[in-house]
Amino acid sequence: MRVSGTQAPNHKDDAALIARIRAGDQSAMADLYDRYAGVVYGVALRVLASTTAAEDVVQEVFLQLWRNPQAFSSDRGRLAPWLAVIARNRAIDLLRKRPPEDDIDVMPISTGVNLEDEASQKLVVDKVRGVLVGLPQDQRKALEMAFFEGMTHTEIAGKTGEPLGTVKTRIRTGLLALRKVLA
Amino acid sequence: MSVHPQFAEALALYAMGTLDDPQDLAALESHLGTCGDCRRELEALRADMALLAFSVVGPQPPARSRERLLGAVAAEPRLERRDRQSYAVGHLRQRWFTFAPVMVMLMLAVFSILLWRDLRNTRRTLRHTHAQLEQMQAELARTNAELAEAKMVNDLLHAPDAWPLTLVSKKTPPQPQIKTVYSKQQGALLLMASNLTPLPENKIYQLWLLPADGSAPMPAGWFKPDGKGNGMMFHKMSAGVVAKGFAVTIEPASGSQTPTMPIVMEPAG
Repeated sequence: MRVSGTQAPNHKDDAALIARIRAGDQSAMADLYDRYAGVVYGVALRVLASTTAAEDVVQEVFLQLWRNPQAFSSDRGRLAPWLAVIARNRAIDLLRKRPPEDDIDVMPISTGVNLEDEASQKLVVDKVRGVLVGLPQDQRKALEMAFFEGMTHTEIAGKTGEPLGTVKTRIRTGLLALRKVLA
Repeated sequence: MSVHPQFAEALALYAMGTLDDPQDLAALESHLGTCGDCRRELEALRADMALLAFSVVGPQPPARSRERLLGAVAAEPRLERRDRQSYAVGHLRQRWFTFAPVMVMLMLAVFSILLWRDLRNTRRTLRHTHAQLEQMQAELARTNAELAEAKMVNDLLHAPDAWPLTLVSKKTPPQPQIKTVYSKQQGALLLMASNLTPLPENKIYQLWLLPADGSAPMPAGWFKPDGKGNGMMFHKMSAGVVAKGFAVTIEPASGSQTPTMPIVMEPAG
C-alpha cells in the first residue's frame, strides 16, 4: 500500500522535496501532494467526518508548509508522520472550534518505523490496524476518543464512567502497545 | 530512555493536546524545559500518534483538491516566502508587521499632539512679542516726534539769527523775566530767561527748588545769560520732589549749596 499517489516516498526524497519547497519550486508542492495528500486527507476525514472539511484541512496544511517550509526539519523526524500529526491536530482544532493557528508547529517526531518504501508502509498500516483490533475495547475506545475526537481524559472519564487514572493509563498503554509491536 | 514516572501518563495526554488540568500542564511544561529524556519520550509518543493516523489512511481527496492547492501555491506572493527565513523570525516579523501600523499611528498621534502644543505656545509667544513690538514702535514714534520737536525748538533757540522778543504792554519797559517748566516725575526742569541784568565774570544766576515739605532749598542748576540778558538751561535732578516754587539768586561762578541772599527772582504773585 502506498501512502498516496504513484510515487513511493523515502527519507532522502523527502529532504530533497523540502529543499525544493524552500527554494520556491512550485512543482515540489505537486510532488508533495501526490505523496502525502492521502495521509492528511485520511486522518482529517476520520476526525471531521466531512469530505469538504477534510479537503480544507489538506489545503491548509500544505499551504502552511509552502509558506513556512522551515517548520519541518528532516533532521528531526520524517515528513509522513509529521504531516499526519499536523493534520490530526488541525482537524481537532476545527472539530473543537478552536481558532486556527497563524503557523504550523515546529514539532520534532522521533520514530524508527520504516516508511520509506511501499511495502514497508503497507506492513506498518496492517500492523497498526492489527494492534488496534487486538486492544481491549475500552482501551481502544479511550485511545480513539482522545486521538480522533480530541477529548480530554476528564471528558472521556465523564463519558465512559471510568476513573480519571484509568483513562490516563489506557491512553498511554495503548500508544505504547503500538510502539512495541512496530519496534 | 528513562522517563520520570510521575509525568509518564501526562506526557501521553500532552502529546495529544488533551491534558486539561492547568496544574498538571504547568508542571509538565516546566519539567520538559529541563528533562531531555522526557522530551525524547514526547517525540516518541507523537510518532505513536502518527501510527494511529496511518490506521485510517485509504480515502483519497477529490482531484479538484490538487488543482485547488497548486492554484493557491501559484497565487502566493514570492516575496512573502523569501521573507520567512526561519520559523521564529518569521513569526516575530509577522507580529511586528501586524502591530507596526498601530504603533506608527500612535507615535504620529503623540507627535502631533506635542507639535500642536508647541505650535500653540509659539503662536502665543509670537502674538505677545508682536504686541510688545507694536507698543515699542508706538513709543519710539512718539519719542522720535518729541525729539524732532525738541530739536526744532533747540535749533530755533540756538540759531545765530534767533531773535527772542518779549512783547509787553506798549508803555511798559522790558522787565527781567524767567520762565520754568518742571516735571516732578521726570525730575527735569527747563528754564528760559530774558532781559536779565548781565553779571560780572565771577558770578552766575542759580536756580533753587523750594520743596513743598518746607525743607531747605535744593540747587536746581545755574546759568549765565548772554550779553543781552537772555539764557536757557535744562537741568536733571532727583525725580519725585514736590516743589512749591522756585527762586533765583546770584552766586559765585562755582555755584553754591545754600542760596546767598537776596532772592533776585521769584514766582509772580
